[in-house]
Amino acid sequence: MDKAEIRKRLNDIQSLPTLPPIVSKLNEMVADEEITAVKLGKVIEKDQVLTSKLLKMVNSSFFGFPQRISTVSNAIVLLGFNVIKTLIVTSSIFEVMQASDVGLFEHSLGCATACGIIAKLRQIKNPEEVSTAGLIHDLGKIVIRSELPDEYEAIVEEAEEKGLYMRQVEKERIGFGHGEIGGILARQWNLPERLVFPIEYHHKPEQAPDFKEIAAIVHFSDILIRALGFGSGGDPWVPALDHAAWERIKLTKSQMKEVIAELDEKLMELQDFTLEIKLDG
Amino acid sequence: MQRIPIKLAKADMVLAKDAVTPEGQILCGAGTKLSEELIVRLRHQGVLVLSVQGHPVRMPGEKSLAERLKELDNRFSKVSSDPVLRALKHLIGEYWVVEEKGAEFLEKLKKEAK
Ligand SMILES: [Fe+2]
Ligand SMILES: [Fe+2]
Repeated sequence: MDKAEIRKRLNDIQSLPTLPPIVSKLNEMVADEEITAVKLGKVIEKDQVLTSKLLKMVNSSFFGFPQRISTVSNAIVLLGFNVIKTLIVTSSIFEVMQASDVGLFEHSLGCATACGIIAKLRQIKNPEEVSTAGLIHDLGKIVIRSELPDEYEAIVEEAEEKGLYMRQVEKERIGFGHGEIGGILARQWNLPERLVFPIEYHHKPEQAPDFKEIAAIVHFSDILIRALGFGSGGDPWVPALDHAAWERIKLTKSQMKEVIAELDEKLMELQDFTLEIKLDG
Repeated sequence: MQRIPIKLAKADMVLAKDAVTPEGQILCGAGTKLSEELIVRLRHQGVLVLSVQGHPVRMPGEKSLAERLKELDNRFSKVSSDPVLRALKHLIGEYWVVEEKGAEFLEKLKKEAK
């Protein structure tokens, strides 16, 4: 299969659940006028299933709000519309992921948690946005898995056999890495560049045209969560560190210790959360 | 610290974090030593999980510290020449040792290594 054909496949993705219709409506509302969080919240809350999923996500430990968030408009005020929109857009994909690849699901939640901790440490304005970028950074992997299942299997096998990283084999076999694929998709969904670039460049953050700091945080969080062995990203290895990106967000030894301790504690809570989701069915 | 379901709690374990109900109500504080009576009371109040000091319970399927350290090493095998990541690996290993065996144990290990 050549690159053009893959790109075409990505353009009309069939097997992934389509975007909930509410997303285009919300996009219109936001573009249209000076809309309030309350108004937006009301529209979302008409969909009870979506609302309960959304509230479960925003209350999960990777965002780490001390108080329970009980309404959608509250969530919009606290986390920002970008985050809420991304959670809505990706909620069906996460359902697919939960069912087909628990390891990757846990890897994603763990990465989101690490992103949030480091973003707060670096006093980034909207740390929840960075968490969200971490949550969906490996989106491309799900797409490959569900759209090109034969290729996906071959990629996993070859990576294992030759002891390579997944993305090395992805490039070779389908012409794109999962970062690029995630980027293409995120763009199709009109997610903001603050989220698109970190997804697209999470393995080469310094090449991101903008938002290099967020990309660097996602890059390092991905490494950190794999280092701890939480969840699974396909192959078992800690990815290579981009040292220019590290210079950008560098943590001291004692900061690193703090991050590890806080992350470890939150990961224990996350396990309760994923267990809860499993029990909910 | 370890998070355990309350039914695995035993007398003499020490709380590493506050015992809270699922609704978020704090019932007793970190540092409290558990007794049989206290455990029963906490259960009745609806507490489901407790965070306790050290690592007193071996859960089914759970790996030993030695196994975890070995796997940690394996995961880093492709990046072992990177000084930043090597430092990260050591910090994680040390954190796990301290969590499970205490800070004195780590000091002892370090001395022995010298
Ligand atoms: Fe990745
Ligand atoms: Fe990843």
